[in-house]
Amino acid sequence: MNDDSAAFDRFLSDAKALHEQGRAALRALREIGDVDVGQSEKELIYAESKIKLYRYAPLARSLGLPPLLICYAMVNRPYMLDLQPDLSLIRELLSLGVDVYLVDWGYPDGADRFTSLQEYVCGYLDRCISVVLNKNSADALNLLGVCQGGTFSLCFAALEPRRVANLITMVAPVDFKTPENLLSKWVQHIDVDLLTQSGNVPGELLNLLFLALMPFKLTQQKYVNLLQGQADRAQLENFMRMEKWIFDSPDQPATAFREFVQWFFKENRLLRGELTIGGRTVLLKNVTCPVLNIYAKNDHLVPPSASIPLGAHVGSKDYESLAVDVGHIGMYVSRKARTTVPPAIANWLLARR
Amino acid sequence: MVDPHYGGAWSPTPFLKAWDDYLAASREILERLKDPSANGGGSIPLPIFGAWQDFANNLGMQSDIDPLAKLAPALGWSRDYQRIVQRMLQIGSQFQSSYADFLKQSGDICERALQATRRRAAADPRLASSPVAAYEAWIDSAETAYAQAAHGEAFARSLGELCNLLSAFKVERGKLLDALARHLDIPSRAEVDSLHRQVRDLDAAVRAAAVRPSPDKAKPRKARKPAGK
Repeated sequence: MNDDSAAFDRFLSDAKALHEQGRAALRALREIGDVDVGQSEKELIYAESKIKLYRYAPLARSLGLPPLLICYAMVNRPYMLDLQPDLSLIRELLSLGVDVYLVDWGYPDGADRFTSLQEYVCGYLDRCISVVLNKNSADALNLLGVCQGGTFSLCFAALEPRRVANLITMVAPVDFKTPENLLSKWVQHIDVDLLTQSGNVPGELLNLLFLALMPFKLTQQKYVNLLQGQADRAQLENFMRMEKWIFDSPDQPATAFREFVQWFFKENRLLRGELTIGGRTVLLKNVTCPVLNIYAKNDHLVPPSASIPLGAHVGSKDYESLAVDVGHIGMYVSRKARTTVPPAIANWLLARR
Repeated sequence: MVDPHYGGAWSPTPFLKAWDDYLAASREILERLKDPSANGGGSIPLPIFGAWQDFANNLGMQSDIDPLAKLAPALGWSRDYQRIVQRMLQIGSQFQSSYADFLKQSGDICERALQATRRRAAADPRLASSPVAAYEAWIDSAETAYAQAAHGEAFARSLGELCNLLSAFKVERGKLLDALARHLDIPSRAEVDSLHRQVRDLDAAVRAAAVRPSPDKAKPRKARKPAGK
């Protein structure tokens, strides 16, 4: 037997083994059925239209910090921050004694078609913050803005600096026009007025766009990897939870989406100091509270170059950044982020109590 | 020819068929976009626009819409619908052309990825005996080739064109759906939008009234002197 035919035999034998592993994994996946997400105990304390404000039940003695309000993105569901008990940024924060609140933007429908960014930032978010402040008899809270929610939080902190004690941005874009930002490059050619003319933007369309950023890895490799590995039930359930989250994309309200794409992605107004919301100019130099900017080194959605410039534009004298060696989604659910990010947030807040 | 405004023989069946075909074709396109390996090149062999031609026929337009007919002015009682359908057909033609261009770029990316994988296989004998290693090499090569193209101006423009054409098609389709809604006496999108606007305006007015101090509270009346004093 020559070397070539021996190698080919090994190839065939490995392929057969992979085939069997794949069949077993598929059988196991079929048995899993539906999966639970967002299991940490929480209480609804305010609701308006589709928006819900939750307070999470404490899991440890309070650190005595101002309440922490998490403002998540509208393009995905916030349960990614509480995916499962052992992969939950929220649970980790609760375990460290942080009092956690969350704004859930819900699933916008046709009734939200004309809802503007002004209403989301200066209306809904503003009122949620008022509710948290009233409940705690406080003048200012800690705000944690995630992804697009980080951009919203920056806008709010710039407009209402006295109501934000400390601001944490996580994988939040600030400079929308950097060379590494593939999404931004594509968006420049999309007529967003036309896109939103016939109503809300389907979540499926955004999903497709996100998958198209790395199509071979996101539509092929991750499934092949799952089938070829010998995942146990817990790992398969984790995969199914991720899968559920990735494709659970709410439709985007037409007006707010158009404004976000036009003002941020196309015109980069936030960075240029030319953003106006509700007749008020949003100037990053008005963000004077302490700022912690957390970004992912391998982020394909919000590249580091989109987040890093924040430090040069905020007015705060107390600015810190934290680079984590993960991707965009890994920031919420990877083991590495789990051991790094929540303690970093809690310690940073404690130091500014 | 029957005026749909006045009942009679006009039937929604061709429209519903066109709608079904459109949905089926849209699903197929999404699948293709999700799975680039399914794209062998060429234009879309789907009845995505054919059923709309049937619908146009039902409205009394030419039975065979050739390029000349597409350019003909819209005339007669159904001219508004003709314009919409003509516009949809034009968009359809543009989409076919843009999609062919997009598929060509996708094909070029796969070709470059294959060449890169071959080069890797020649340099690394492990790939010949391990399907896992070969597959990883393919994915890595494919993503690298894709990233190079995707960051380029031509790819971004092509993707933007496809998105804009689908948006334009959706706008025209909305006009037809609104017309159909009127015929079936169900609320049109425009009517629902109008209601949503009114509710929003009312909501804003209520909110403003709630925060505004009432005139009575803002200017406390002076106590009236008792009569006769």
